[in-house]
Amino acid sequence: MRRMALLLTLTMLIVLLAACGGKSGSGNNGGASATNSSVKTAGNTATAADSGKTGEVVTIRTSISDGELSKDQIAEFEAKYPNIKIEIEQLDGTKLAAELATNSAPDVIRISGAFETSSYAIRGIAMDLTDRIEGSSVIKMEDLVPMASVFRFDGKKIGAGAIYGLPKDWSNDFAIWYNKKAFDAAGVPLPDSKQPLTWPEVMELAKKLTKKDGNKIKQYGLAASEWGKTEPNFNLLLQYVLSAGGKINAADNATMDFNVQPVKDFINMWVEAVKSNVGPNSLNNDQVSGGDLFLSDKAAMLIDGYWYSGVIRSNENTKTHLADFGMLPTPIAPNGTRMAPTGGATGAIINKNTKHPDEAWKFYEWFFGGKPADDRAKTGWGLPAFQSKMALLPQETDFDKQVYGVLQDELKYAGFLPVNPYLSGGGWGIFDKYVQPLYFGKSSVDQAIAGITKDANVAITEAKNAAGQ
Amino acid sequence: MTEKSRRIAAFYLMISPWFIIFVTLGLFPLLYGLYLSFTNYYGFNMNNLKMIGWHNYDLVFSDSDAMYALGRTLYFTAINVPLGTALALGLAILLNRSIRGGGVYRTIFYLPSLVPVISTILMWKIMFSGNGGILNAILNVFGIDAVNWLGYDHATTSLIIMTLWGAGGGILINLAGLKGIPKDLYEAASIDGAGAFQNFRRITLPLMTPIIFFNVLMGIIGSLQVYLQPILLNGSELLARPIQPNYLYVVHAFQQIFASQRFAYGMALLWVLFVVILALSIVVFLTSKYWVYYETDRER
Repeated sequence: MRRMALLLTLTMLIVLLAACGGKSGSGNNGGASATNSSVKTAGNTATAADSGKTGEVVTIRTSISDGELSKDQIAEFEAKYPNIKIEIEQLDGTKLAAELATNSAPDVIRISGAFETSSYAIRGIAMDLTDRIEGSSVIKMEDLVPMASVFRFDGKKIGAGAIYGLPKDWSNDFAIWYNKKAFDAAGVPLPDSKQPLTWPEVMELAKKLTKKDGNKIKQYGLAASEWGKTEPNFNLLLQYVLSAGGKINAADNATMDFNVQPVKDFINMWVEAVKSNVGPNSLNNDQVSGGDLFLSDKAAMLIDGYWYSGVIRSNENTKTHLADFGMLPTPIAPNGTRMAPTGGATGAIINKNTKHPDEAWKFYEWFFGGKPADDRAKTGWGLPAFQSKMALLPQETDFDKQVYGVLQDELKYAGFLPVNPYLSGGGWGIFDKYVQPLYFGKSSVDQAIAGITKDANVAITEAKNAAGQ
Repeated sequence: MTEKSRRIAAFYLMISPWFIIFVTLGLFPLLYGLYLSFTNYYGFNMNNLKMIGWHNYDLVFSDSDAMYALGRTLYFTAINVPLGTALALGLAILLNRSIRGGGVYRTIFYLPSLVPVISTILMWKIMFSGNGGILNAILNVFGIDAVNWLGYDHATTSLIIMTLWGAGGGILINLAGLKGIPKDLYEAASIDGAGAFQNFRRITLPLMTPIIFFNVLMGIIGSLQVYLQPILLNGSELLARPIQPNYLYVVHAFQQIFASQRFAYGMALLWVLFVVILALSIVVFLTSKYWVYYETDRER
């Protein structure tokens, strides 16, 4: 018996040790929350009194990346505000989750407005900036574009209520970019850029634009994103549902039901497109990204927003023949309404637990409304949050003019994706889980829709419970 | 202080650097995670934690994703561990022969285990690619149809192939074991007329069983914890969901914690995994007396 006990203890110890130092990273076995015991509740109550006494230098940490906030800009800010130092902290999703869990997240947190604002508000991480924005002399409320309201949330609806942040820039992320060389190679004329195509028309066009040499694909018709495969995703689904006027959220957002015709049509349309190999996907296992294909004339169309004009202007392959590229309006669902929502709107919130709310706001106001906002608009890497800065967008070349012209039309059709505030970004994984098997004939559309609905509702119930609702 | 207590004090003093680090950075987080698994911790409600008993553990067993992932992980382990162990042993035996340039070969075979895992995955992704991937190009030479290596039907096979490529890591310890086998045993065997196969079957294999035992145990623990490879083989970022057949258990836990902020539930998932690892390790330990040879007989 004693030998047995010893054997067990020994085994346990070895497992424990191996688990601690496991090469495949199982250190997560508690590691992420190891230092949670020190969570404090600075909360909203932190005042200017404890946030930097006169002369004291305060450091504001932000996860806005160094590509978005240059050293020169930081130096400019620090010269203007000698009592504030700015520190950029590069964060990915996992590190941010761990920092939030341990209350060590930055003071100014970079987020995607369209998907994350409501979740940060519900979890009590985002500070309500309404009063500060209304009282600001740098950020004028009346000058904000309608899409800036993607950072507003009234507890139920996105786009109304308290303001939790502002977009650094945003785009009509579901527009279509064309590569004229690829259209010419397939002998297909360019579509009219004044009228939006329907999504099924885009797919038909994509088939015509896909060129094969025997079994080998020489040119794809469509790239669904600059970095990934030509497969549907949750964002694209929400835009389609918005245009089709489908209802997937209950009035109080407490449940979701994906068993509606637009969702079925969307999934059927995309599964067909994947099976037709109109772009790199899981079936043809082409590992080249959509953006690389598009920029090297090997994909005729790309789904992306205005910001992609920045890529086309600066890419070595494309900047020499900009006239070959252009933007088409965001497609619509058949018989649907024209809608050109943003799928991201990267911006930031101020951490409610910041110890220095006033200094964080000073930085926030400067970064989102001050000179950096002008700098950003001039580059054309996204649309400004202010009407008055729209005129700063590039308008010199024919390419600039074509894109700017289509954009003016698109701006009239701003709308918000029907994001469920409790599901937030959780829909992406759920969507992939149930839709991917369809490409391989391993499931049916009805099963997929039932699965998405079930998992989404489980996640919503959990999020509501977590928020004490 | 008596001589005995001085010796005990010296012992603890000497192991203290490791022991302190182990307790603070190893044991404490593990136990803290265990505590959190009985709470409703979502990553932002630390000052409002509620004890919810075994609820998270009940969830694990009614979570079809978790059970599916566990099944796939056990399947992956059941194939990966025997193949990996056999491959490492086979290569070590080949490399143990005194041939010219043996050291070079040893280095080459060991090299894959020095390559960072991210680079390994990126490299294999290109080799598995359907557009210009070398594996399909080779199949093409032999007139075999292209295979969708990362598709639904072959994704797990590809994951195993990629993992086996790193089997060279086990070669080092196998070589050490082989060098430890006394030469005179082989000499005596050859005098008795034993061939190469009998040498292997009657001398090498039995004397290598303690090493094999160690490799099997570590292999099981490592395979059950794999998560980075399946995520990045199909996706391009950590929170991407792998293709369904490669949705392994720790991937599920990782998704729950970092994509869904279900921290407490994620902890429960990982502690269930700990129990699974523990159970399998005990089985391996218990069966070891039937197949592992120890030079000095264990006390009975």
